[in-house]
Amino acid sequence: MKRLGFYISIYRKIVIQDIKSKMSYRSDFIISMIGMILTDISELAAFYIMFLNFPSVCGWTYHEMLFLYGFSLVALTPLQCLFDNNWQLRHYVYEGDFIKYCFRPINVFFYYISEDFDTKGLGQFFVGFGTIIYAWYKLKLPVTFVNIAALIVALFAASLFMVAIMNIAAASCFFLTNSGYIMVTMNKFRDYAKYPVTIFPIFFRIIFTFIIPIAFIAYFPSLVILRPQNIPFLTWFSPVYGIIFFYISYKIWMFGASKYSGTGS
Amino acid sequence: MRIKSWIALTRVSIMDFMQFRLSAFVMLIGNIIYLIVIYNLWKAIYASVDNATINGMSFNDTMIYLVLASAQFTFMEAYLVWMMSRSIQSGKIVLDLLKPVPYLQYLLFGLEGGNICAFVVTFIPTFIIVEIITKGYIHLGINILFYLVAATLGMLINFAIDFFVGTICLYTQSTWGINIMKEVVVLFLSGATVPLAFFPETLRKIVMFFPFHAIYNTPLTFLTKGPELSLAESFIMVGEQAAWVIVLILIGKIFWKLSERVITVNGG
Repeated sequence: MKRLGFYISIYRKIVIQDIKSKMSYRSDFIISMIGMILTDISELAAFYIMFLNFPSVCGWTYHEMLFLYGFSLVALTPLQCLFDNNWQLRHYVYEGDFIKYCFRPINVFFYYISEDFDTKGLGQFFVGFGTIIYAWYKLKLPVTFVNIAALIVALFAASLFMVAIMNIAAASCFFLTNSGYIMVTMNKFRDYAKYPVTIFPIFFRIIFTFIIPIAFIAYFPSLVILRPQNIPFLTWFSPVYGIIFFYISYKIWMFGASKYSGTGS
Repeated sequence: MRIKSWIALTRVSIMDFMQFRLSAFVMLIGNIIYLIVIYNLWKAIYASVDNATINGMSFNDTMIYLVLASAQFTFMEAYLVWMMSRSIQSGKIVLDLLKPVPYLQYLLFGLEGGNICAFVVTFIPTFIIVEIITKGYIHLGINILFYLVAATLGMLINFAIDFFVGTICLYTQSTWGINIMKEVVVLFLSGATVPLAFFPETLRKIVMFFPFHAIYNTPLTFLTKGPELSLAESFIMVGEQAAWVIVLILIGKIFWKLSERVITVNGG
């Protein structure tokens, strides 16, 4: 417990420094934020246009699809805000700067990840949150304590999956040089998280559930709210599975870091 | 003399691309996964309506359109804004400006080789896969020729817009934000995310006043609606693209000329 407090206080200090340094480029901060929000809004516009022409997708209505999309945006916010430094990992490893993280008396993964707090992810959070509220209102879902608590737990569980996928993708740079395309390819999968997994044939449903578990980013956890009469077992299992999956990704990342031998500079 | 330096730059960029064969292969795999996702998504969407065509787009039309739009993205998108903003930030731009070739040409021909390679490595295989899956749905005739011309012009329009946006980076020193904004606006208004045929009437009319639809929508129309287009219509479409290329390159050149003097390099 004392250790946890120690890590939290360190995290706060590092993040404050990072935000200060980012605020010195204020126009970049504002433009990035607008860019992020614009990206999400264009997706919403795409949904809107699609549903002007079609009534539903596989039994999912417009507002249900909006809920899924909003849910996936919020669930992906921790990845964007807290774990964005993974994108730089391959440059650090390749150029030898990674060695600096190995000489600190704290957890390497923690120290590396805490160095970057990506503020533009907050824009994504607000758009996602707004979309959830709008869909919630339009679907006339009951606002009860149980529902809200379920939503928070479901969001927490959902956020772990994409973080874990990107951890593993980033860790590949410890074993391969020039692994950027692995991250880019894996990152593309998050775009498919906003669709109900039932639209896919069984083979891909299995892949998206167990191997690249993007179905847990929005589809399975949202069922708690959207289809409460008929919740599959996998939905209940998702927080446990999320934690296990995250732990595995952490272990792979740390294993890669332990293999790191520096570049000799 | 000019042409010699153009060929040299193209050759260098082809060799540069060859260095990253594996990444091109992974790009192709990513494209195939996208194809599978899109196929199933739109199949589910079309299953929800009774009529087979919506706004003149059948399921096959929509799928071919979107898959080829994504394949076209992989060879058209040269990440020019990234490149320009990085060289502005690092100061490498000073070296580029000292080259005996005008900057715009240096960029264009320095990227063209990569575009050609990506076309061969990702677009052609995707095209063949689509043609097999849909059992020869894409008409193979004069429209393919028009497609190649339209795609080249579309690429030039995309390049000109990128060049303009990259020049803005001289003022803002923001890279990620500017780039992502450009990407979103271009992809959405060009009909690469949702086919323009599905847009509401007024919005479509507005979009047609912008050059973006000429990047994706025009070339792809030659593939999906190939046999229905008359020769005159085809020439008008290509002519409109050519006009946009001239206008946009001109604007880009003037804007660059005006902005050149604000370049500041710290150290370098």
